[in-house]
Amino acid sequence: MKSLFQFFSSLKLTVVLLAFSMMLIFFGTLDQVQYGIWHTQQLYFESFIAVWAYPEQAAGYDQLFWLRIPMPGGYLLGGLLFINLLAAHFTRFKMTWQKSGIFLGHFGLILLLVSELMTDLLSKESQMPVDEGGRSNYSQSHRANELVLIDRSHPDYDSVHAIPASLLKPGKPIEVPNTPLSIRTVSYYPNATIGRATNGAPTESPATRGAAVKMGIVVTPQPVGYADNDINTATAYVEVFQGEESLGTWLVSNVIDERFPPQMVEAGNSKWEIALRFQRQYYPFEIELIDFSHDKYPGTEIPYNYSSEVKIHHQDSTKNQKALIYMNHPLRYEGLTFYQASFANQDRTSIFQVVRNPGWLLPYISVLLMGLGMCVQFGMHFVKFLRKRQ
Amino acid sequence: MKLFTTRSLAATTLLLALSGCERDEPTSYLIPKEERSVSMPGATAPAASSQAPTMPTQAPTTAPGGMQVLPGMQEAANQAGEIRYTVPEGWEELAPSGIRKANLKVTDANGSAELTVLVFPGDVGGRLANINRWRGQIGLEASTPDDLPAFTEGYQISQHRGLYVRLVGEQQSILGGLLPFHGNTWFFKFLGDNSTVLANESNMKAFLDSVQIQDTHH
Repeated sequence: MKSLFQFFSSLKLTVVLLAFSMMLIFFGTLDQVQYGIWHTQQLYFESFIAVWAYPEQAAGYDQLFWLRIPMPGGYLLGGLLFINLLAAHFTRFKMTWQKSGIFLGHFGLILLLVSELMTDLLSKESQMPVDEGGRSNYSQSHRANELVLIDRSHPDYDSVHAIPASLLKPGKPIEVPNTPLSIRTVSYYPNATIGRATNGAPTESPATRGAAVKMGIVVTPQPVGYADNDINTATAYVEVFQGEESLGTWLVSNVIDERFPPQMVEAGNSKWEIALRFQRQYYPFEIELIDFSHDKYPGTEIPYNYSSEVKIHHQDSTKNQKALIYMNHPLRYEGLTFYQASFANQDRTSIFQVVRNPGWLLPYISVLLMGLGMCVQFGMHFVKFLRKRQ
Repeated sequence: MKLFTTRSLAATTLLLALSGCERDEPTSYLIPKEERSVSMPGATAPAASSQAPTMPTQAPTTAPGGMQVLPGMQEAANQAGEIRYTVPEGWEELAPSGIRKANLKVTDANGSAELTVLVFPGDVGGRLANINRWRGQIGLEASTPDDLPAFTEGYQISQHRGLYVRLVGEQQSILGGLLPFHGNTWFFKFLGDNSTVLANESNMKAFLDSVQIQDTHH
């Protein structure tokens, strides 16, 4: 027991862990070229064990294809560093005035580790595209999809019934909440190309209703792309039931969107639009894009600033406000942060990254504590030094 | 010594608990009517901002109970207070449901009309937007602020300043009341076939005069 303590509180462990952290960052950076930031983060930093494989694009792959380097992942290193720091404090550290600066600095570091974990686990990111002059009251995920059935029969509101795509496992029946319907996934493709069959070619398709039948659409599954700007076309064949009775099988895909006439499921007097789309999060306010502008370096196509002038229309109009969102100057509103992320449609559409991160203040506090700790520590030494000189 | 093990154990447990807390589940919720759509850039075909198809108006289907509503809508409806009113003669009363505070129906030889009472938090986009939403429901063009006096007048509802709206369409009409009331907006909408709605205008006004909203603010 005692030796275990010594191990966990040793400075040697700290050094080894920091060395492993550098290695992790190095190999993670190599892989980012291939997999994009999001996937690399998952593989290397949001895992306990990471394995680096020799990249196919690199020289000498034919000889080195077998090369695999396992290493501790971000959670493992972060967790051990956290324990290491705590254990060191409990075993070696005596709280005295002379050491209060060190204590503050270390406390700040602990807080930083905790805030990183919180961000990992609790923060949610999504995107909100808004056209100039248009408004939006929802943001959508860049990766996660959902199957939705929407009842638009009521003149005052629409009623949305959503099933996350992660639940669309072939064969598994799922009840659609607050409707008499249930669905069964026939097949689900995380990425696919869909197109119309060429003239006269027979189409093999489980679909019996909707766009796939009308337009003779064929689905070709594709490997999932991980690059940051890859958009995967999630596609599924879904059979809809009312009680025991099958109403038919529809092809749904996140490229069969508002540009197409809605695919309808009818049961009795009720009608629902059925669609697969990026997961949406609705808000009790609308963001209106008044103006988007984007400045380039003179004589080049390289942008140096984008900005969006927005107006927020909240259901409660006392919360309405105007804001200018530009690079490194996000809008914080109702627990959400809106960053200027991108733009499209010849500068007529602005795309915001919407982040909900309950722990966003913690890193600021921890850096402040570390700075304060250092100032206190050096300040004390400095005062001592001055006294000695006198 | 002992202290440390308990703490590290607690920390580990917390970590495991946190990492297992996200579960995807089917949900359902209500959203305001969608009138526009933005396509995600990067999609294969050129993005067209098409009008979302508006459905023909039909008899409203009852929202199922226990429905999860857009954040704030159901709570606001629950907190907005109860409403008392007198049912005009010959009108039948249907059960209120979800965010609908009251629901009445009248049928005569020429057709039928339905009165719904809804309450939403805030001003739901403002007077003009809501009136234009109603105009759209009976096939009328959107109007500008300057046109409002032609079909609206100030009207007292439950001892507060509200607005009476009179919209006559090709086949259907709306007689409505809009009432900002302590941070919420109440919508009294009487919609149906032209002749039924217009023949019942005095009944509609009598109904509005009889409305008493529970007022916890005075």
